[in-house]
Amino acid sequence: MPKAASLTLSVGVMLLAGYGIFAATGWPWKAALFPLAIGIPLFCLAAVEALWTLLGRAETGKNEMEVALTTEAGAQRRILVAVAWMVGFFAAVVLLGFPIAVPLFLFLYLKLQGGEGWPLSIGITLAVTAVFYGLFDALLHLPFPAGWLFSWLGLA
Amino acid sequence: MTEALFEGLVLVLQWKALAFMMLGVLLGFWVGLLPGLGGATTLALMLPFIYTMQPVEAFAFLLGMHAVTATTGDITSVLFGVPGEAASAATILDGHAMAKKGEAGRALGAALAASLVGALVGAVALALAVPVVRPLVLTFGSPELFMLAIVGLAFIASLSSHGGRGMLRGFLAGALGLFFATVGQDPQAGVPRFTLDLLYLWQGLDLVPVLVGIFAIPEIIELVARGTSIAGRLPAGRLSRGAFEGVKDTFRHFWLTVRCSLIGTFIGIMPGLGGSVAQWMAYGHAAQSARTAEERKGFGAGDVRGVIGPGAANNSKEGGSLIPTIAFGVPGSTAMAILLGGFVLLGLVPGPDMLSKHLSVTYSMVWTIVIANVVTVLVCFAFLDQLAKLTTVRAGILIPIILVLVFIGSYTSNNHYGDILVTLVFGAIGYLMVLAGWPRAPFVLGLVLGKIAENYLYISVARYEAAWLTRPVVLVLIAVAVVVIIYPLFQARRKSAHA
Repeated sequence: MPKAASLTLSVGVMLLAGYGIFAATGWPWKAALFPLAIGIPLFCLAAVEALWTLLGRAETGKNEMEVALTTEAGAQRRILVAVAWMVGFFAAVVLLGFPIAVPLFLFLYLKLQGGEGWPLSIGITLAVTAVFYGLFDALLHLPFPAGWLFSWLGLA
Repeated sequence: MTEALFEGLVLVLQWKALAFMMLGVLLGFWVGLLPGLGGATTLALMLPFIYTMQPVEAFAFLLGMHAVTATTGDITSVLFGVPGEAASAATILDGHAMAKKGEAGRALGAALAASLVGALVGAVALALAVPVVRPLVLTFGSPELFMLAIVGLAFIASLSSHGGRGMLRGFLAGALGLFFATVGQDPQAGVPRFTLDLLYLWQGLDLVPVLVGIFAIPEIIELVARGTSIAGRLPAGRLSRGAFEGVKDTFRHFWLTVRCSLIGTFIGIMPGLGGSVAQWMAYGHAAQSARTAEERKGFGAGDVRGVIGPGAANNSKEGGSLIPTIAFGVPGSTAMAILLGGFVLLGLVPGPDMLSKHLSVTYSMVWTIVIANVVTVLVCFAFLDQLAKLTTVRAGILIPIILVLVFIGSYTSNNHYGDILVTLVFGAIGYLMVLAGWPRAPFVLGLVLGKIAENYLYISVARYEAAWLTRPVVLVLIAVAVVVIIYPLFQARRKSAHA
């Protein structure tokens, strides 16, 4: 897994840097100087890392200065579930807007994923929503627009 | 001077100024806790309220608010791995690792105590440095500032991983960060670069959504995968006991705290570098203070020095960045540029007048930094037990609340849905980096330094062509960068030869 991740990253970085170098050649030197000064060494470093990953000894991939990821059984399924909730929350925010998406997401996560009881789920949802409104809407007057769905339906 | 210093204290302690400062501290406390809503944004939001205030009251309010955001920003970094402020990201590496080991109290104690020492050092530097700092700032032109950025990057890239392979990945991550910093309209020719024909990307990648994504999303995914609280399955009652231990750690490593505070002050003085750079430089220095390779491996796994260093630098840079703002009208950071707007609103002109006619107002700022930080740290200590207990809250309850914070924090950076998308994309990149063993710290520093470094490189080349490389301070900084890169390799080689 670490080998595949490192290879994916280094090949991705090579493609990115390659595209960057190609694009920069068409810009005036003022705009191209820095992308070229960074893009060329970036491409070379990524190529060395990719080759090292392919030809070098197998390694754990663990960097002692980084968080340790769990390898427990079933972890991968739980990771996919986490990603699905994040994507779902993002979709809800875009379609319904923050004022509806925040309480909806909180309640659904607490009830369905967290398995919490009704009183706790409703209590936390109400408390967080109150803080959200109190701070951002009432105090700081930061705008949170209605979701795209309301615009499409002509309700916003 | 002593008279003006005392007069400054008396001015700040007047009930109206003190009340405004406390209001500012209260606001700054919560702003620091919320990811995305940065100190600079809040300063801008609060600027219209100072019209009717006296200068001392206005600066007590604004500086009191700004001075504490970095302190409370460390709290979310330690507890949840979510940077409350862009300048609190480095605290995550060891602070959150300590929280996972059940040492949240100790990490918070160390972060708060180091923040206080840092703030005091920064304030003292502000009080003492104004007459002597002018020649120093004038020595550093664009070539020197560019090289300073490169030294910072070399520092963190060489120290955030081990061995040749680790260093390769460190530099790769740093270069990737610099590369992502080129996204957006270029500052010289106005050419849109890598914008994918999206107007949103013309202003470049905002730091907050990227930072929140790269640090918070992998932590959230990991929390879901483990299915436990942040502190895992550790016995209850162990968490808060270490708060005093954290304070003792700060004084046990007192000289490291002072050195990191001085790094923060120095970076604060340099125009354009800012707090995000200061914390990583201080983290790099703290990691370098490890005497053996074995000891260095503890960094990132919960070494308290990794919390003390950034904590101290983060707060000391406030005093430092005020020096060029007050003395020359040259703001050292975005927040200071906004504060400069405050000077204009109040009819004050930064420059010699602030060091003669309005010296007591200048010293009132020093006292504001000191008092605001002391109050914040005392309040935080009063609630430390409760704060540390948050790490024992079940993942099922904590995750949705953190995710809401992450999404709102990202969105409020530019009030654009694109910010949330950026957070999710960089969250995926961050997770892959952790999985592959690539360090994230150099990436973040590269991203922070990218725009600054590009500007300085362009000015250096346009003004001096290749001759900028031969300037004495540049040569010294090149030598420092080379030593920073070679020394860890030499150390590792010597260790393997002995083994």
